[in-house]
Amino acid sequence: MSGEPALMSLVSVAKAIAAKKFSSREVTQSCLDRIAQWQPRVNAFMAIEAEQALAAADAADVALAKGNNLGPLHGVPLAHKDMYYDAGKVVTCGSKIRRDFVPTTTSTALQRLKDAGTVRLGSLQMVEFAYGPTGHNPHYGAVRNPWNVDHITGGSSSGSGSAVAARLTFAALGSDTGGSIRMPAHFCGVTGFKTTVGLISRAGAMPLSQSLDTVGPLAQTVEDCALLVGLMAGADPEDPTTSSQPVPNYMAATTGSLKGLKIGVPTAFYVDDLDSEVARVLDETIATLKSEGAEIVKVELPDQRQLTAACQIVLATEAAAFHKRWMIERPQDYGAQVLMRLQNGLAIPGVTYLEALRWRGPALAAYLAAVTGTDAVIAPVAPIPAATIAESDVGNSLDAEAVIQRITKFTRPINYLGLPSLSIPTGFTKAGLPVGMQLIGRAFDEAGLVRIGAAFQRATDYHQQVPKAA
Amino acid sequence: MTRPEPKQVKAMTEIAGVPQNAEVAARIANSIGPAFDGFAPVSGTLPMDLEPASYLLVQRAKVSK
Repeated sequence: MSGEPALMSLVSVAKAIAAKKFSSREVTQSCLDRIAQWQPRVNAFMAIEAEQALAAADAADVALAKGNNLGPLHGVPLAHKDMYYDAGKVVTCGSKIRRDFVPTTTSTALQRLKDAGTVRLGSLQMVEFAYGPTGHNPHYGAVRNPWNVDHITGGSSSGSGSAVAARLTFAALGSDTGGSIRMPAHFCGVTGFKTTVGLISRAGAMPLSQSLDTVGPLAQTVEDCALLVGLMAGADPEDPTTSSQPVPNYMAATTGSLKGLKIGVPTAFYVDDLDSEVARVLDETIATLKSEGAEIVKVELPDQRQLTAACQIVLATEAAAFHKRWMIERPQDYGAQVLMRLQNGLAIPGVTYLEALRWRGPALAAYLAAVTGTDAVIAPVAPIPAATIAESDVGNSLDAEAVIQRITKFTRPINYLGLPSLSIPTGFTKAGLPVGMQLIGRAFDEAGLVRIGAAFQRATDYHQQVPKAA
Repeated sequence: MTRPEPKQVKAMTEIAGVPQNAEVAARIANSIGPAFDGFAPVSGTLPMDLEPASYLLVQRAKVSK
């Protein structure tokens, strides 16, 4: 087999290693070569562990030669957002405060991928404590967008989006509390899967908001994401909030067509105040879904502004509670913007916070009633393509929160409702920046989103586009 | 429900045990104010027999198309 292995999809490279068309060492070296080429430009990695990765790859090759295939990701090198605890490894959480933090446990999601045979490449950059949507980081530098390094990646899974887009890793774990998987997927032109709250264990994943945090992957394709979610999902005694329901076969959903499916298009909010190029891509995406056999219907959703407000109240309060000790003892060690946002939570009365939590059930019921009869809803991930790093570097200025809220206005309602949302690459601006759309599903109907997303990717090649190194 | 004024925010941060000065309090009030405005139509309208776990009942219920 010829070509650069690092450019393959996760599913393809896993099959190639299993079939001994490539060794794990060849694949790992290919990723390391690209990392050496791209890291100085994009700053996607927090730590690069080349020697350890090659040694692990060699061990995987030896095991395979002996007929010992560990699992569906045997010998596949991956790197993840630096907030997944990996026993004995430094996990910075993108922060100065945890610069030297070494956990003694491994997160369940990460362990399940290890059990499937993955090789660790290192760890990926992120926004400090996962609390920001742009990709800036005052401690470790902004992560840059491989499509144009003057532009943001989106956050908080900034390194995950950048590294997958530049083909430095076949996939990466992100986390999504207010849009932190979908935003980098949209801005960097990769596929990102925000899963239903309760589908994947959060044990050993740095917490930001216990009500809103979700674990999910970023990868080249929907099929890649389906494989990863299937491996990670399911009950975990370490996280009693996970569902005990059997995990569906998400890979089986990748072959379904769109015939007979109804996809809703919101009549308001998600189609208001869009950048003209995002609006164009939305129209083109809807046209493609229709041409592939889906029925497109209008849906009138409940007031989404109330959902975004409720999400902000819950997130701010819970984040402040997690960080209160450090806000007292080490406020000087936070970046200005993250500290400002944490301080916001101090001003929310307990009654208001609990009202926001109590309303979640009725709000979800109202949403589900509004989308009755549809299989998914399509909406932009953000109203704009990636801004420049300079123009979005708002720090803790007076308008900082307003800028953040505008970027995340289409993602936060979904976090509040706890629904799954699949972000897929759907086009480019005239300047060559990616634009993604999100498919929003019912709780625990990830398979339905996989079916739609995979069908869209069979009909298009946006997900196969690779940014060029300068 | 109305958005908190900077003076109220300052008092709340003191009560929360993480006291902030007037400048920070003003910034917090400016940042979080829109969330209070956005949630105002819901606040104070919820029935008594509703608790946060009702979310799980809705989320995990079999909802037919």
